[in-house]
Amino acid sequence: MVYQLRRWPGIKRIARDGPLTPTTQDSYRKMLGSLYLPSGTWLHLAPAGLKLAVLALSSTALMWVHSPLLLLLTCLLVCLLVRCAGASLQQVWRQLRPLVWLLLTLGALSAWSQGVLQALEMVLRLFTLVLAALVVSMTTPLTQMMQVVVWLLGPFERLGWVDAEKVALGFGLTLRLIPELGVQWQDIREAQLARGLTPSPLTMGVPMLLRTLRRADEIAEAIDARG
Amino acid sequence: MKTKDIVLIALFTALIVVLSLLPPIPLPLIPVPLTLQTFGVMLAGLILGPARAGLVLLLYVMIALLGLPVLPGGRAGLAVLAGPTAGFLLGMIPGAFVTGWLSVLSIQNDKSKEVSSSYDTFRPTPVWQIARYVLAAVIGGIVLVYAIGIPWLVFVTKMDFAKACWAMAVFVPGDVLKAIVAAVVAQRIRRLNMV
Repeated sequence: MVYQLRRWPGIKRIARDGPLTPTTQDSYRKMLGSLYLPSGTWLHLAPAGLKLAVLALSSTALMWVHSPLLLLLTCLLVCLLVRCAGASLQQVWRQLRPLVWLLLTLGALSAWSQGVLQALEMVLRLFTLVLAALVVSMTTPLTQMMQVVVWLLGPFERLGWVDAEKVALGFGLTLRLIPELGVQWQDIREAQLARGLTPSPLTMGVPMLLRTLRRADEIAEAIDARG
Repeated sequence: MKTKDIVLIALFTALIVVLSLLPPIPLPLIPVPLTLQTFGVMLAGLILGPARAGLVLLLYVMIALLGLPVLPGGRAGLAVLAGPTAGFLLGMIPGAFVTGWLSVLSIQNDKSKEVSSSYDTFRPTPVWQIARYVLAAVIGGIVLVYAIGIPWLVFVTKMDFAKACWAMAVFVPGDVLKAIVAAVVAQRIRRLNMV
């Protein structure tokens, strides 16, 4: 009996790495918190369509600005806006962290190939654009964003190309299904670890997809049954 | 479009989100860790076919731009569109479409062969079908995505084109590996005729 237990590789792995971290639906839901920060600054009160339009226009305009001084001024202005949106430094940093490394690498590459001034200009411009977009994302709730999308889809709907109701159904279903699939992934991983298999994309993919497709049948039947 | 198609689109979008959020896998011999995001894109193309796969990616990009952190590393929002790698994200939409289109094409060719002739003809073994899927995933999921992503990177950063290509070359071995795994998985699923 003891010998058999020792031959079972799963137990070794669990002994080495400790028990698998429990992943509940809640932790996936927390992971998926939207960027929106609920607080009532004047930026939150501005209509979503206006904010998006201003963002689109100013981003395009910024592409043609080449003076580093002007770019620096715009950047400071946008930083001020971030402050106005009521974001803490920590929240902003969490969003920017992956980008900062990318920007530094790109800046170094471009400084090496085109000169420091060009690199500075590029980094400043990208940083400003990203911050400005972040402000809009942080001050606009998901429902208002969806309303803008539905409004943008309006002309296509009148042409009969899209059905806004179906888009909304797909959107809502996806948000609901993300935590479900996360838990499903964890289930399969644990089942394989318990049997001594090393999870790899190949062995995970097939059961993951089979369960997904089976679930698609069930959900479609449920939706049709409710009409 | 039937209800099942919408459900499938939503499920595959959720699948790509989950694959994107998993921590990157480090691999020996390949300098950058793999994220499974493009793996999901290839799978969607190979299994769902062109129209639905394109819609899956459209929905995914829309959700990302609306500000839900569904991209690798938990990034999200319109900021992504302003960033230097937006071309790769947008390129995935036609990428999935073309992958799906090519995979459907390869299946249709098989069927016509089987119908038109009797016993001694060429029957595609799984290996051949997998090879076709790999080709579809490479053309749609890698070549097309890079063909959109690299010029975008060059335009945004004003980087030298050749240098941008070299910088991206480190990702190619991992992507090819993902295409092969996606093709094997897709062949096993497609055999069951569930979609």
